[in-house]
Amino acid sequence: MQQELLNISEVEQLISTGKTLLIAGDEKLLQQLPKGKWIGGTIPYFISPDQGGLVSQDKLFVTDISAITASTNIKVYDQNQLGTVYTDAGSDGFSFIIIPASSSTHISFAVNAPNYKDFGSQPLLGWISGVHLDDLGKISPKVVNGETGETFQDEAVVMHVDLVPGKTVDVGIINIFEQGDGDTLTFTNDGFSCSEVMVNGVKENFADYITNNNLDIQLPLVADYYGALINISFQSVDPGKDVQFYAPVFTGVRYKHAKPFANYADAFKKQLEESGAKEEDITFSCNCILNYLYSGLEGQRTDPFVGPITFGEIAYQLLNQTLVYLQIHDA
Amino acid sequence: MSIPPKTNPGWKEIVTGKKAFSLKFLAAKILLGRLVRTVKTDPSPDSVSAAIDELHALYTKNAATKSAQDDIKTIFG
Repeated sequence: MQQELLNISEVEQLISTGKTLLIAGDEKLLQQLPKGKWIGGTIPYFISPDQGGLVSQDKLFVTDISAITASTNIKVYDQNQLGTVYTDAGSDGFSFIIIPASSSTHISFAVNAPNYKDFGSQPLLGWISGVHLDDLGKISPKVVNGETGETFQDEAVVMHVDLVPGKTVDVGIINIFEQGDGDTLTFTNDGFSCSEVMVNGVKENFADYITNNNLDIQLPLVADYYGALINISFQSVDPGKDVQFYAPVFTGVRYKHAKPFANYADAFKKQLEESGAKEEDITFSCNCILNYLYSGLEGQRTDPFVGPITFGEIAYQLLNQTLVYLQIHDA
Repeated sequence: MSIPPKTNPGWKEIVTGKKAFSLKFLAAKILLGRLVRTVKTDPSPDSVSAAIDELHALYTKNAATKSAQDDIKTIFG
């Protein structure tokens, strides 16, 4: 077993037998689990192996990494400590991180991770925990250190994993969005919001630009990082005032509004084929709540990828509207 | 896999953008997105040297990773 949607008694059994687990699910379920070698985050949306996209508050999504794990070190970081996450990592494995949405660690990681000391020294992947959309503003997203049973709403939990001998890992992304052919957009400040944008080098109010050009804000801004396409998703547009994002824009990076696509399934299949990802190699994956909502993934499958639907994805840094996966290879 | 020394001209060619490659290792692509921009803004020898140090360290620490190994073959043959 690697990735499955299980009821609480099945998960309790796995924990009690000493399995090393990454768990996603409703806060009430996570808090009932016994202590053990696991970390978790809150979210009720999943792509399940059997039924595809679904909402469940009575089952937990479990990724069992026991077969590839030699040892683990679970650590909790606040926003001031998170800068050492790469330095703390070992040399023969990967680090798995879960951060509560809208927490200080979320904001800090989003802005600073690309400049952390020892960036990329070993693979770092994970996700941003969330809540049912009906509970937005009522319940805060959480993460859990399963080793101690402690729950956190403002800290990140990280499992640093040393692999068994003979295995290596790689982190991949599937991004269905491409840069469109429109204007080049740059920003004068780093951050999750802005009022002004440079459009082909000319300053404009960004909200007015979006309105006047009738931009579809379900499509993200896309930056090209040496061939890796990195999205910045729109959260809201306040005409004449600010534009809010789900990830920070950075100065010096050239963004373009994404090219529209006709059908998620077709675009996904094209990107999957280009990725060369093989089902038997995939140990973990997660996809974005915005892809789930905008592309109608409820009841839809994204084979070979299953896993939690998240409020942000992490592959070395924060990503938006992107599927992230962990591949295992023989060394 | 052995990683070519920092003195190999291939490192300078990639961080200065003189040569562009289609790479697979995601961390390197994210890092290069920043390094190439930085070196274009400040092409001084110190800036180029610092960029080479960072990229070389990344590939050295990930020398066992399949995508990093593929990149080394792509860049250095």
